[in-house]
Amino acid sequence: MAAAAGEEQQLLAQRLKAAVHYTVGCLCEEVEEDKDVQFSKQIIAAISDITFRQCEIFAKDLEMFARHAKRTTITTEDVKLLARRSNSLLKYITQKSEELASSNMEQKEKKKKKSSTAKGERIPGEQEAAVTENEDSNMT
Amino acid sequence: SERKPREPQIPRSWIKEAFRHFAKMPVTTDAYRIVEKCCERYFQQLSDDLEAYTHHAGRKTVEAADLEVLMRRQGLVTDKTSLNVLIERHFPLQYRKLLIPVAVSGNKVISSS
Repeated sequence: MAAAAGEEQQLLAQRLKAAVHYTVGCLCEEVEEDKDVQFSKQIIAAISDITFRQCEIFAKDLEMFARHAKRTTITTEDVKLLARRSNSLLKYITQKSEELASSNMEQKEKKKKKSSTAKGERIPGEQEAAVTENEDSNMT
Repeated sequence: SERKPREPQIPRSWIKEAFRHFAKMPVTTDAYRIVEKCCERYFQQLSDDLEAYTHHAGRKTVEAADLEVLMRRQGLVTDKTSLNVLIERHFPLQYRKLLIPVAVSGNKVISSS
């Protein structure tokens, strides 16, 4: 049973790695066009491997930050704290989170008009979505 | 006599002693001066970080938990080395007593040598 679970975990990790590799490839293509340079296959593989490992560190740090603030849900505040080391990155992330917050507000306003019930359940989901998107931009 | 009030700082001799202890090789005077500058920068960064972590937890007072988060971010505290291990490894007994009273009352004193 444990062996089967471990195998499943490994498969999941492989799928995740493949997904990261694909996205890194797409991003590298964009940079290639933009800067007029070429990335070799090995470099793209290396970057995707680094990204995958960095995600591990990010996940642990974000978890720690959320726990530090006595929360179990990671919010944009935690992500901002993660990006504090680099000033320009912090600026970028803060700007992005503000954009997200304003668009979230608009959506909430619309929902309020439709129905004022069951909004408490939606908020955590929205915040989680915000975090993943922020982390993606962190990767670039 | 007109003495300029100095910026608070760690005594130079203390920095020198600590650095020499870890470097284990001759260090020039210029290098020590740079180390002093770095210490100053380190404390600036440290206070900025601690402020951010304290505010993040919704507090105004810096607590031990904030420092632990900071040291985890610095890679000093890890899953393998807890804060208490570092305290036992690097602090003299008198301070260790204040921070981990249990360790001393259990008669389990680890020397810092």
